[in-house]
Amino acid sequence: MKEMHRLSAVELRDAFLKGETTALAIANHYLKRIEAYGSSLGAFLKVLGPRVLLQAEALDKKRAQGKPLGKLAGVPVAIKDNMHIAGETTTCGSKFLENYKAPFDATAVRCLESEDALLIGKTNLDEFAMGSSNENSAYFPAHNPWNLKRVPGGSSGGSAAAVAARLALLATGSDTGGSIRQPASLCGVVGFKPTYGRVSRYGLVAFGSSLDQIGPFATTVADAALAMETMGRPCPHDSTCLDLPKEHYKLTRDLTDVKIGIPNRFLENLKPEVQKNFLDAVDILRALGARTVEVDLDVLKYSIAVYYILATAEASTNLARFDGVRYGVRSPSAKTLDQVYDLSRKDGFGREVKKRIMLGTYVLSAGFQDAYYKKAQKIRTLILEAFEKAYETCDAVVMPVATSGAFEAGAIHDPVEMYLQDIFTVPANLAGLPAISVPSGYDGEGMPLGIQIIGPQMCDVSVMSYAYAYEQATKWGRIPPAFLDGGAS
Amino acid sequence: MMCKYFMAHFDKDTLLHLKKLCRIDLDAEEEEDILKSLKRVLEYVDQLDEVKAEKTRPCNHVMNGMARNRWREDVPEELLSRELFLGNAPDQIAGMVRVPPVLKPQ
Repeated sequence: MKEMHRLSAVELRDAFLKGETTALAIANHYLKRIEAYGSSLGAFLKVLGPRVLLQAEALDKKRAQGKPLGKLAGVPVAIKDNMHIAGETTTCGSKFLENYKAPFDATAVRCLESEDALLIGKTNLDEFAMGSSNENSAYFPAHNPWNLKRVPGGSSGGSAAAVAARLALLATGSDTGGSIRQPASLCGVVGFKPTYGRVSRYGLVAFGSSLDQIGPFATTVADAALAMETMGRPCPHDSTCLDLPKEHYKLTRDLTDVKIGIPNRFLENLKPEVQKNFLDAVDILRALGARTVEVDLDVLKYSIAVYYILATAEASTNLARFDGVRYGVRSPSAKTLDQVYDLSRKDGFGREVKKRIMLGTYVLSAGFQDAYYKKAQKIRTLILEAFEKAYETCDAVVMPVATSGAFEAGAIHDPVEMYLQDIFTVPANLAGLPAISVPSGYDGEGMPLGIQIIGPQMCDVSVMSYAYAYEQATKWGRIPPAFLDGGAS
Repeated sequence: MMCKYFMAHFDKDTLLHLKKLCRIDLDAEEEEDILKSLKRVLEYVDQLDEVKAEKTRPCNHVMNGMARNRWREDVPEELLSRELFLGNAPDQIAGMVRVPPVLKPQ
């Protein structure tokens, strides 16, 4: 057996099932890697050391007793720290929830654990998932494993960095405007945002409820599919969760007769190296049998403006619950009930969160709602309709994931410039579409790039399958050189 | 040009009003920075003025055919215990969450 961090989740699980290794050996191997690399990478807010060792012992026992083993038996999985693991902290990367202990499991977490995944830690994120660089974590920023001076993307930057550096083989993320796909692209791993409602949001701390969706990070498309087979189930605790039987992800390498839509005009003004990388990827899809057609998605240029109205409006109501009364940190200076609210929210929230709550409150406030919120809702309809029309002539739309490779920490100060990092990822959230980020090579400075495949609603399996075909033809997903060895001896 | 009109009026007073609506206290430096950022973002958002969408219906649910009530059987489930729930409360008394007095003594 190869060193276990060089295996995919499927390979490691199979090795465990065949008795080539034990769950305890796997847990120890990954804990050692986290110990060696974790702090320089900033990927984890909490390592679940004692918990995962107990879990591993129990799993070894289960195997010894000949009991049936789950689809993720022995696979080390990291959980974004805005999802509940009962009894563990859920900080959301915020000081507000520094001591908050989850009273129950998120459905997605329970699904993973019921398939015998080993939950190894809680990963870093931009506070309340608001950010594109992980610099908004109230604790410390996560770094990009390809270059520690650069950002891993956000908001699920910790999950992306952990999987890229092989400190876990799968991780969960939540994607409201690109928070899975953009960091996946910047860190050179696979990231999948399913159709809205495919994975239950129960136990995920809400940001923008009409946009939020949980999905996996993985080192291969097949691993991401395995995670989706585990997490994509109906859930009675989330009324927006699709009430459909779980899907079986049959992946094929053949793209014959698949029609790929390219929104040429929307993609004008790409940076030259991103454009070249994208066109090369399209050539490979063609070589695999796909046909390309041009689609009109010009309206997507308004996505970011629409998103920052709708997402902040939803966030302003969702985050009203953090009031210092029932949970979270209460300001010690508060003498009156009003001060409990005003000061706890002042002390507990970081700058970006305050900005977004205020913007969201503004666009919903009397006299402004029609001009901002309702208008944005109408343009969201136009975006949905544009995609529907595009899918009359193609099976999937392809575009880059990010506007560039990972940038240096501290490089972007202008809020709009930061928000525009998500211009290619936000549309899939606005339209509820399944979309995947797959590694597609490297920029001139050796930083990973990704392409994005976006399918019609409910076509999660085809999106994953097209991505698999591309991945098998290219194999760009590599381990960052600094994390190939070491840490495990 | 509705939005531009509003944007021009997004000033310190608007921010002070928002502070109250949001129940977030801010210090002077934060006020300055947030005012600047929000003005910048609203200026960007103003591009939506170009889009003609008067007759378009607003998107209330992103999934086709899902904008309907979802029913389930009203079956009692195991509830979280009071102790577990109160474990996260910043202050408690006699099994309840405690807050500073709301009514002033006469």
